[in-house]
Amino acid sequence: MTLTFIESVFDIVTVGAGISQARWLPGRVNCDGASPSDAPQPGYGALPVLSALGELLPGGLARGSVVAAGRWSLLCLALAAGASVAGAWCAVAGVPQLGVSAAVGVGLDPARMLLVADPGSAWPQVVASLLDGCELVLLRPPGHVPAQVRRRLEAVLRRCGGVLVVAGDWDGAQARLLVTRQEWSGIEAGHGRLRARRVLVVADGRGAAARPRTQWLWLPGPDGSVGLADQVVTEMQETG
Amino acid sequence: MAAHLTAAGFPPARVLVVWCPEWPVPPDPDAARAFERVVSLVEDLCPKVEVLWPGACAIAARGPARYFGGEEALAGKIIEAVTGGGFACQAGIADGLFAARLAAHAAAPGTATIAPSGQAREFLAPYPVSVLSSEEMAGLLRLDGAEMAELLPRLGIATLGEFARLPAAQAVNRFGTPGGMAHRLARGLDPRPLAARPPSADLSVSAEFDPPAPLAEPVVFAAKALAERMHAGLAARGLACVCVRVRVISEDGQEHARLWRHDGLLSALAVAERVRWQLAGWLPDTAAERRPGEPGHQDEVQPGGITLLSLIPDQVVRAHGRQLGLWGDAVVSDRVARAALRVQAMLGHGAVTRPVPAGGRGPAEQATPVPFGDARDPERPPDRPWPGRIPVPVPATVCQDPLPARVTDAAGAPVTVTGRARLSAPPARMSASGGPWLVITAWAGPWPVAERWWRPQAARRRARFQLVTEDGTAWLAAVQDGNWHIEARYD
Repeated sequence: MTLTFIESVFDIVTVGAGISQARWLPGRVNCDGASPSDAPQPGYGALPVLSALGELLPGGLARGSVVAAGRWSLLCLALAAGASVAGAWCAVAGVPQLGVSAAVGVGLDPARMLLVADPGSAWPQVVASLLDGCELVLLRPPGHVPAQVRRRLEAVLRRCGGVLVVAGDWDGAQARLLVTRQEWSGIEAGHGRLRARRVLVVADGRGAAARPRTQWLWLPGPDGSVGLADQVVTEMQETG
Repeated sequence: MAAHLTAAGFPPARVLVVWCPEWPVPPDPDAARAFERVVSLVEDLCPKVEVLWPGACAIAARGPARYFGGEEALAGKIIEAVTGGGFACQAGIADGLFAARLAAHAAAPGTATIAPSGQAREFLAPYPVSVLSSEEMAGLLRLDGAEMAELLPRLGIATLGEFARLPAAQAVNRFGTPGGMAHRLARGLDPRPLAARPPSADLSVSAEFDPPAPLAEPVVFAAKALAERMHAGLAARGLACVCVRVRVISEDGQEHARLWRHDGLLSALAVAERVRWQLAGWLPDTAAERRPGEPGHQDEVQPGGITLLSLIPDQVVRAHGRQLGLWGDAVVSDRVARAALRVQAMLGHGAVTRPVPAGGRGPAEQATPVPFGDARDPERPPDRPWPGRIPVPVPATVCQDPLPARVTDAAGAPVTVTGRARLSAPPARMSASGGPWLVITAWAGPWPVAERWWRPQAARRRARFQLVTEDGTAWLAAVQDGNWHIEARYD
C-alpha cells in the first residue's frame, strides 16, 4: 500500500500553546458544507496527526487503516485530535466514561464529536454506520473481536476511507501504539498537585511502519495538551 | 387561524394560548406523552388545537368564543378543564400568536389575561425588546432575535413600543428579514403577509409501511426523509408553511392527527422530533406500564403498528431566505446526520449524543451530552468562574456514578477529613471498588468543596484528593461523610 505523505505545515507547537493549524488534505471531503462528491475515494491520502506524534506516525493516519492503541487512554484521544483540528468528525463508541474536557484539552473539537456510549451487541453495525459519516472512529470493543468481524470492518474502512482507532487488541492493525511507562510530575507526598505526565510511547506496525519507534511525550502537559518531552526531565515552572 | 383576515392593515385573528409553566424545557418523550392529555382536554372543547411545543398550545379564539358566550367564558372553561385534569396552566387571549403568548406569560397561574381587541400594539408597547429573544419566544424568532435584543437597547430602543415607532424600512435595513418580521410583530401584525395564491393540493407527502412498523424509530426515520421532501416541494414554489399536520394511521384503522407550529423554521430533524413526540403521546396506557428492561417499552406504538404517515403543510406563506447552520456552531453535513440518524434508529434517540461544554466543579459536570438533533444547550453555563473547579490537566476517564473505594493510612485505619479540612493521617493504601490494594506513592489534598449549602437537600460537602498509586495511575478521589469514592482516573 502506498502512503501519500502529508504536506502539513505546522506552526511552532510548545507545551502551553494551543494546537496549531493543520492543512486539510484532499482525499475525503471538507466536512464543513456540501461535499464535492459523495463517493469516497478509498485508500487515498491520510489524516493528519498532532505534531508531537509526527515521529511515531510519520505518514499520519492512513485512510482505510486500523490503529491499535492498547488500553483506553488519553493517547487514543490524542490520535484523533490532529484530524479533529483539521475539520474531521470523530465518533467515540463504547466509552461511556469519556472525559470530554480532557478530549477538548488535547485538541478535539466538541462540536464535531459524536458519542455512542453503549453500542450494545450489534456494535459492528453501529461502527460501520458511524464510519459512513465520520472520518475517524474511536472504538473500545467489548472483549475479543472475532476474525470475521475484523475482516468485515476492515472492508468497510477501505470502502469509505475512514480510520478506526481501537482501544484494545486488533490482529493485523496497520499501526500499533502502546504506552509503556508513565511518570506524573508536580505531586509529592502531601503537597503539590498533578501537573503533567511524561509517557514513553512505542509505535510499530506493518509494512513501512514495521520498525519500532519510541518517543517520550507530555501526555498531558500542564495545560492539557500533548507535547514532546526530552529524556532529561526539564524544570517545571510554577504556573500557580 | 382565520388567515384571510391578515392582509396588510387588518389586525390578526384572536388567538388563545394555553401555557403550562411547569413543563420541562427541553421536552423529553415522557413530557410529550403527558402533554398529549392536556391537548386532548382542550380538544374536547375546541376541535382545532395547534401544538406549539410540549407545554403550550394555541387555538383560534373567535369561533369558540362565540359558542361559549364570550372570551372570558371560553378561557375560564378551558382553564377549568385543564386544571381538572391535574395540570397547572394559564392562558392569554390577544390579537395574533406573539401577543397571545406574552399574555399567557403575564397571566397569574390558573387565570387568563385578555388583551383588548384591536389594541395589540398598545398591549405590546411596554414589553422590553428582550422578549424577542427570550426562551419562551424561541419558536418564532429563535436566534435572529438574540442579535436584535442585544443591539436595540444599545441603540436607545428599550421597549417594543419604541421599536414599533421606527420606520419599517430602517428595521429591515439594519437587521434584514428577521428585523422586518420583528417590526411587524411589535406593531401587532402577523409577521408574514400571506401568499396570494391558494396552495395546490399536492404539497403533502406520505409514506406507507408495509409490513406495518411496530416501533416508533423507523417511523421517525422515515419522517425525516418525508420532511425533507416536503420542504423541497415547498421551497421549489417559494413557499413555507405556518403549520404542519402530522397524520398517523395504525393498522386497526385508528387515526391520529396533530397540528404542529412550523413557521418555516423547522428543519427536517425538528419535524421528525415532533413526529416522535406525537407517537410518544399516542401510546396506549398499557405500554407505558411495562417494565423498563423489556424490549418494546416506550418504543412500541399502537398494537399492530403504523401503516401510514403523512405530513400535510397547513397555511402556506411566501418564503423568505433563511441562513443555514442556525442549529449548533458546526454545520452538520448531511452525511454525518444520516449516519447519526441511522444509529439512532438502531439504538434509540438518546444513544447518539454530542457533547456540549458546560460549567461545573466536578469532572462529570464539565460537559453535557445532548442527543443528536436536540438543541445544544448546556446544563450549566460554562463561562462562569466556578470556584473549586478541578485544575487542569483534567482526567480522561470520568465515572458517571462515583465508584466506592477504601483508603487507609499506614496503620490500616480509614482516612477521614474533618469539617475544617484536617486529615486524620496521610493516606497509604487504596482499594478501588473491591479491587486489589495499591500502595499510594504520592497524594495531594484535601481540597474541600461545599456546594449548594443554601439548599439542605442538595447540599454536598466533600473533600477531593489526587492520589498516585504504585503502578503510576493517578486517581481523583473524594471523601464525603467518611465514605471514599473514586470520581475519575487520569488515564
